Amino acid sequence: MSSILVQVIVGGLLLGAVYALFSSGLTLIWGMMNVVNFAHGDFVMLGMYVAFMVWTLLGVGPFVGAPVAALVLATVGVIVYFGLIRSVMKGPMLAQILGTFGLALLLRYSVFWAFGANFLTLPGDLVGGTYDVLGIKLQASRLLAGVVALLVTLGLHLLLTRTSLGSKMLAVSEDATAAQLMGIRPDSMQAIAWAIAAGATGLAGALIATFFYIAPTVGETLGIVAFVTVSLGGFGSVPGALVAGLLIGVIESVSAYWIGAVYKDIVVYSLFLCFLWFRPQGLMGKM
Amino acid sequence: MRRFLWPTVALALIILYPLVFTTPFQQRLGALILLYAIAASAWNIVGGYAGQVSVGHVVFFGCGAYASMAAYSHFALPPMVGVPAGIAASVAIAAVIGVPTLRLSGHYFSMATIAVAELARLIVTNTEFLGAAVGLSGPTVPRTVFDLSFISALPYYYLFLTVLLITLGITWWMTNSRIGFYLRAIKDSERAARSLGAPASRVKLYAYMLSAGLTSVAGALYSMMFGFVDPESGLGILISVKMLIMAALGGAGLLFGPLVGAAILVPLEEISNNVLGGKGAGLTFVVYGAIIVIIARFQPGGILALINRLWAKHKPAEAPAAQGAPHAP
Amino acid sequence: MRLKHIAGLLSAAAMSVALAGGASAQQAVKIGVVFPLSGNAASAGVHGKAAIETAVEIINTGSGGLGNLPLTSNAGLKGLGGAKIEVVFADNQGSPAVGQNQALRLITEEKVVALAGAYQSGITLTASAIAEKYGIPFVNGESVAANLTERGFKWFFRVTPVASDFAKIYLEFLKDMKAGGIKTDNVAIVHENTEYGTSVASVITSVFKENGLSIALDIPYAANTTDVQSQVLQLKDKKPDVVIMVSYTSDAILYAKTMQALDYKPPMIIADNSGFSDPSFIKTAGKLTQGLFNRSSFAIGAKGTPTFLINEMYKKKSGGDDLDDTAARQMQGFFVLAEAIDRAGSTDPAKIQAALKATDLKPDQLIMGYKGVKFDDKGQNVLAAGLVIQLQDGENYVPVWPKQLAKTAPALPYKGW
Repeated sequence: MSSILVQVIVGGLLLGAVYALFSSGLTLIWGMMNVVNFAHGDFVMLGMYVAFMVWTLLGVGPFVGAPVAALVLATVGVIVYFGLIRSVMKGPMLAQILGTFGLALLLRYSVFWAFGANFLTLPGDLVGGTYDVLGIKLQASRLLAGVVALLVTLGLHLLLTRTSLGSKMLAVSEDATAAQLMGIRPDSMQAIAWAIAAGATGLAGALIATFFYIAPTVGETLGIVAFVTVSLGGFGSVPGALVAGLLIGVIESVSAYWIGAVYKDIVVYSLFLCFLWFRPQGLMGKM
Repeated sequence: MRRFLWPTVALALIILYPLVFTTPFQQRLGALILLYAIAASAWNIVGGYAGQVSVGHVVFFGCGAYASMAAYSHFALPPMVGVPAGIAASVAIAAVIGVPTLRLSGHYFSMATIAVAELARLIVTNTEFLGAAVGLSGPTVPRTVFDLSFISALPYYYLFLTVLLITLGITWWMTNSRIGFYLRAIKDSERAARSLGAPASRVKLYAYMLSAGLTSVAGALYSMMFGFVDPESGLGILISVKMLIMAALGGAGLLFGPLVGAAILVPLEEISNNVLGGKGAGLTFVVYGAIIVIIARFQPGGILALINRLWAKHKPAEAPAAQGAPHAP
Repeated sequence: MRLKHIAGLLSAAAMSVALAGGASAQQAVKIGVVFPLSGNAASAGVHGKAAIETAVEIINTGSGGLGNLPLTSNAGLKGLGGAKIEVVFADNQGSPAVGQNQALRLITEEKVVALAGAYQSGITLTASAIAEKYGIPFVNGESVAANLTERGFKWFFRVTPVASDFAKIYLEFLKDMKAGGIKTDNVAIVHENTEYGTSVASVITSVFKENGLSIALDIPYAANTTDVQSQVLQLKDKKPDVVIMVSYTSDAILYAKTMQALDYKPPMIIADNSGFSDPSFIKTAGKLTQGLFNRSSFAIGAKGTPTFLINEMYKKKSGGDDLDDTAARQMQGFFVLAEAIDRAGSTDPAKIQAALKATDLKPDQLIMGYKGVKFDDKGQNVLAAGLVIQLQDGENYVPVWPKQLAKTAPALPYKGW
């Protein structure tokens, strides 16, 4: 293989890891609570702005910014859960779309109002430069995001499958009434799930901010990718989101290189639709 | 016959509106409400009554808009000549994507429709015949009245009102037919309906195709009024979402829900833009988003469901109000 | 019927304004401006708004000191008895439908006498269509799509140079560079696939072809993309001598960052304005793209020059950002409109239209580097022109071509970061 092709694939994998990173929170909420969060992309955007604020005010990079963003977004997640989602969940599914779409606009344009329309970035060398491994360029900031994506996936997976908190959360998502009879408080479990999901999303935003631009409307660009990643991976499946993210990243990268950049999304959506035909539950989802 | 009283009064008010509010902007606002109400009502057939939340309805809207503008740009015909072609294309597309996707449950159906709509937008953006990224324009100056290109919004208002009444009539007819009966059964429990012998897949497909055809008429009317369509304004995902939130806000699965939703959201959007948009601080959407959040928070079943409930409480003797929108599967 | 009726009303209003004008100078002249003040293009719209506000302040205070620039030496519009200009801004939200609605509202509710805007070509198209129907002059300073002036409109005027003008600038510039011994045979063009990128790229390709220069590599990509690595790798693989880039701000920033990450430096990059002229691009990615060429019709100029002073005023309204080419073109469009209203001595749209048709501004009456302003039958400014600038230090663009307008010589090869 030519070194360019290896570079294309490596680039695709790193990109895919980022997709997986900002999709893991969505799959948790969507799959576990059956809530479609149209504001997900804007949670990523908030994480980016938190990282930017941390850097401007304290002059420190994502090693401080990312945990802070995770904390801030976890708080936002809990507020959103108690303020909106809890009551919306009692209504029809359309009410969730209505409510989270309104929330998306509210968040996006509150940030617009506070920070203005200008594009911002973090300095490129905040995480480190670019490594050269046998002629393949590896950007430190993307590498960090990729590693964190793996850690977050692993962590969430272990949390859900190996801890009592995880089993309680799953129990609530299976049957809230039955869980309540078992002495589990569905409200607290779902609030915790929102905190974890939003926190992971904030973390993702802060890491993406190290190599992406920051703008109030950036959530629109990223949100739809997350939707495709989550449904390809299977709703609620954290490992599924990782595999799907990597797959989409590589397909995008390779098709952009070979077929043309305008066609990469056409390829992704077509493959996605074909895939749904044969396996409607996604890669790792349950029917 | 009392149940026809209020709709008749409402219709009379709607007919009189542009004669009372005569400034061009007010008339245009009225026309826009009706236009969005057509699209949202068409969406309601599949999204509200059949409980299949399509987030890709813009693909049908785009069919109508592009067919009309293509009729003018390529064949110098009046744009309305393209309407049948747009309907045919929409119904065909609905059949093709409906067969595989309608068997997907809940969220997967929604995701599949988003993917189809995005795919359509990307393909059109790269299709020279459909104007690619630049889009297609209608007649700049109306040649005959058949071009449906008017300066005043008044003709549009009554045209849209007529189409809306037809759309609502078809919807009403459908809900009272066998299909409507099946749809209600499917919405309550698809498995139960199937086991009782309801042809669930076929009925959902019919509803989807009907909804698609009507949505394409809305798209065609839109393109005639604005004289322009491009991939973003004809196939952008925001238009799908708008149809959905108007129906949801007014009351999905209720005959007049989408109209009520459009009558709230369109003026809200226009007025907040008029008052706040020029400041350039994004406040339009802060207000708009906040109001949507508040409605979803306190009235998840939609405004009309609330009105119906209050009405039922006020008059316990009347027949019970229609049910709210479907629950997620 | 309706049109006549409205025109009648407006001219009646105009007459009363004109009559009142003699007695009191307080009757303001209302102009509507439609810009993208939210959505993806909001950054450009907000800067445009600051530019127009600066122009209004200059015209209304008339403190002078700005050379031969019209309307700057006395307060308000002299031709209308010193009437002040009042601008009503409207947000097009990035949608052709909203743009048209807002144009209609400005005409019928706000009773503006003329319109300006609307940045995105597709929205300028629908917004100006409503102005045409109502018979209200629409002056555009920034949209470049060719079809705007091909519609046979009587009320549409465009001040900015269009894609074919830039293409010729690039062509001549490259010829000159080639004569200086620089390799320019292998040209690649990277462009986004909305109406802006597609139309500019196709015009450049055809103009180059007519002159025997072929585009060796054409890379279209979807705007607002999440990743551009593959496009950069394609360039890296094919090693073109010159890369022409047509992008909005978000993508421009991604390209700059990705080129650095993948260690790719073409010998020469020419950026087509837009995203690469956005002050937030220069702030965020300027240091990664030192030596980038760009086209412009505007230069801030030396201390004390009119453009320098205007930039100082603009900075107060823009939050410190310098006046970029796009905002400057918007401002120039507005000045042309204001000058025509002043010359018409009336707010009657038909008289403003006649005055616009008779516009003949000289280079020293402009803030832009145009050869003048004079409209042809289609409403296009035939004297629009531009120059090539370079981001030599990563902070400020300087004019480098053509020679008579250059501040310094073009620096090659592309330096990057």
